[in-house]
Amino acid sequence: MIRRSAAIRSVAARPWIGLIGAVLVVGCAAQPITGESESAASSGVGSISIPVEYYKLDNGLRVVLSRDDSAPTVTVGVYYRIGFRIEPKGRTGFAHLFEHLMFQGSANLGKMEFIRLIEGNGGIVNGSTTFDYTNYFQIVPAHTLETVLWAEADRMKSLAITQDNLVNQQGVVKNEVHVNVLNQPYGGFPWLTVPQVANVNWHNAHNFYGDMADLDAATLEDARAFFETYYAPNNAVLVVAGDFDAAAARAWVAQYFAAIPARPQPPRPDIAEPEQAAERRDAYVDRLAPRPALALAWHVPARGTPEHWAFSLLDQILLQGEDSLLWQRLVQQRGYTGSVAGGINLLGNEFTYDGPMLWMVYLVHDPATDPAAIVADIDAEIARLQSAPPTAAQMQRALTKTRAALYDLAGSSTRFGLVDLLACFALFDDDPARINRIEPELRAVTPELISDVARRYLVPAKRTLQRVEPGGAAAGAAP
Amino acid sequence: MRRFVAVALALAAWAAAAQPREQPPVPGAPRDFRLPGRETLRLDNGLALTFIDYGTVPKVTVLAVVRTGNIDDGESTWLADVTLEMMKEGTATRTAPAIAEAAAGMGGSLNVGAGAEQATVGISVLSEHAVDAAELVADVLRNPAFPAAELPRILSNFERSLAVARSDPQSLAGEALARRVYGDHPFGRAFPQPGQLAGYDIAAVRAFHDRNFGARRTHVYVAGRYDRATLEPALRRAFGDWRGGAAPTELPATPADTLQLAFIDTPGAPQSSIRMAVPVPHPAHALYFPTTIMNSLLGGAFGSRITANIREDKGYSYSPDSSISARRGTALWVLSAEVTTEHTADALAEIYGEIDRLQREAPPAQELDAIKAYRAGLFVISNSSPNGVLGQLAFMDLHGLPPEFLAGWVASVHGVTPPQVSEVAARFIRPERMTVVVAGDLAKVRDAVLRLPQLEGARMP
Repeated sequence: MIRRSAAIRSVAARPWIGLIGAVLVVGCAAQPITGESESAASSGVGSISIPVEYYKLDNGLRVVLSRDDSAPTVTVGVYYRIGFRIEPKGRTGFAHLFEHLMFQGSANLGKMEFIRLIEGNGGIVNGSTTFDYTNYFQIVPAHTLETVLWAEADRMKSLAITQDNLVNQQGVVKNEVHVNVLNQPYGGFPWLTVPQVANVNWHNAHNFYGDMADLDAATLEDARAFFETYYAPNNAVLVVAGDFDAAAARAWVAQYFAAIPARPQPPRPDIAEPEQAAERRDAYVDRLAPRPALALAWHVPARGTPEHWAFSLLDQILLQGEDSLLWQRLVQQRGYTGSVAGGINLLGNEFTYDGPMLWMVYLVHDPATDPAAIVADIDAEIARLQSAPPTAAQMQRALTKTRAALYDLAGSSTRFGLVDLLACFALFDDDPARINRIEPELRAVTPELISDVARRYLVPAKRTLQRVEPGGAAAGAAP
Repeated sequence: MRRFVAVALALAAWAAAAQPREQPPVPGAPRDFRLPGRETLRLDNGLALTFIDYGTVPKVTVLAVVRTGNIDDGESTWLADVTLEMMKEGTATRTAPAIAEAAAGMGGSLNVGAGAEQATVGISVLSEHAVDAAELVADVLRNPAFPAAELPRILSNFERSLAVARSDPQSLAGEALARRVYGDHPFGRAFPQPGQLAGYDIAAVRAFHDRNFGARRTHVYVAGRYDRATLEPALRRAFGDWRGGAAPTELPATPADTLQLAFIDTPGAPQSSIRMAVPVPHPAHALYFPTTIMNSLLGGAFGSRITANIREDKGYSYSPDSSISARRGTALWVLSAEVTTEHTADALAEIYGEIDRLQREAPPAQELDAIKAYRAGLFVISNSSPNGVLGQLAFMDLHGLPPEFLAGWVASVHGVTPPQVSEVAARFIRPERMTVVVAGDLAKVRDAVLRLPQLEGARMP
């Protein structure tokens, strides 16, 4: 099965341990929150309410505090508004490589010391790079909050890396690309491969993981310039969520972050995509893929518009869950595949980006199945929504699914999805309290608007089709 | 205490800092962490019911864990998986689409799965739907319709998954490791034989369900926020008159403990997949705690020695990891690393070197203390949600662990000493007893791997 890619990470998310077919099954226990449905809806009850305190330091650092004492832990996230969309030309993959460098040493913590400080205090640490931000986060026992804030401030003000560490992490990142893209069937499909075809603006259409030659070409001087430009407090958000004393947290934030100077930010490049006028088609051979695969992608309405909220529900109705129209038709009725997946923003959800974005549908199928037949079935389900608004029952289920997902977010022991939303709403909208308006916004969507959005956005001329063709690499056999 | 030196010229510190280094602030006092209350009761037909009252959001999980899985496959590899998938295809009173719509209407989706020794049917829903969720889970468990017309589709889905797994170097390495370690035991058959799946008919699926599902093998866990006064009677109604069925299968596995080496050729691969496995104490064993802490220090944390060495020093690998994989009555230490092709043997040599160093020298107390704090912190994080506790209890029930295992977990971790860590490494993580698998471009890696002294004399099946 294809698994949806997580964000590009500094540290592998401890994947797949144990033996195939022999992993302890704990049902829902180990299930992550589904990314693209982190929104809320009503099943007739009141809206969910997340506590949000929001303020800014004089140096421009935006701070979000969200307190709950459901567990004696606290999650800290530092989000910088620099993703792989605006990394320098000729340095593809640099935003992600740089994320790795943020773990390589600062004025007061040498290599491995940041990680050992967090783990040695009972915490989990990681970072990730996506379209429009790079984030660093820790989940730690509540009593270690001050230590974590000190450490994040330390690397915000004083990264200190060496040539050896740069070379070391170039090697690690190349291994990451190998394991996640080149040495597995369907590696990078479709999250990495489809944007390169569906977009025309270089910022949206380059190789986000980076070409190997560009990764090799990165220098310490590049890293210094990148850090000085983008890793400024006025280009960042700090989120603290969990069990803490608000007054103490505010004091520590001031103590450790306030003295870091603001730095002028360059104008953001234009990442807009021109409106697509004709269908785009692409196919490539995947050396390791044993079966064909197919992805379809459409551009979604601008975030924050009524059409975008409607698209969130459209995604629920068409694609999310086994009750969805596409699952029922492609999996249950036609038997083309065991699973159809996709959504808005495969590296996060419909709120965690800022700029153009694709809605994707993808599946692996058998060689005997004509891709045209699959596309025709997808078109037929879209056509149903275009010709008649969703039923009351469909609307209700879509809202209930999203409401449940929002509760999962709020009740998660890592609070990671919660921090992600608060940070993105602060970073992109200067308004983290928007998290509490997700439910009302979704409830305000009319069935007619969903139908209208389907008619305007989900048309063949505005889509991209990408096929993966099976390659010739035979499965290895013991000699 | 806190030597906070204001650093005005932040960027000047880019190169090695000339100033005295600041020390991190010392954390305050740890807060109490108490595990949630829970209660287990047993129905007359043998079914166990556990209520875990926990959480802050109005959601509840109902999860039935059945003591069956691939252990009951016999020669019919993945028959357990096929049976579980077929259970989603409808009951006596509900079609598959009706099940999917009912689940979504409660805010959840029905999850089924077959593991090695546990099969699960469960759903997580908005609390107001707890009773409906319990009834849905019971219906799927007890009354599957097993529509024959759907079986070819389900089998072709498994064929497709198998084809993908067979082209994935990591899956191939895992399959080879399981085969070498567990031999003829069902745990050793991770992949069906070519053509085998197509031979499964609806009678075989029905027979698997008849043989292996029943109240005596089933433990239903409820975790989250729910109204016990309505949910408990509903569960009793839904499960109380289910057949007892057979007792769980006792089929102990005996993992290999002699030196073996298996190669899988993946020509052109930019990386090699390394797997190593050796038997270690299982969770009910007196030496489990020193062993699990030893694992974290050796390879099971980002700050661990193997990660520090082959990733952060050498850059050979992105995500090396070691872990303890438990079965009833036995456990394995498993190391997994995807490494650069040209450094395959180098990476193996470094891993052996770290094992050897840990066996010979007790780790510094400071290093061990950090690892113990890490595991204690993880314990709190992983038990801070209803589903986290549920998973923990299901693990304990499978392995027959007493409540003290959980209650005393943090104290047991803190009781591990540096000499104990070296002792369990020396006693159990023995290269001469390991099964090693290397999947990679053998033309480039085979000879160098075979020159490693630790692999001299390995049986190469």
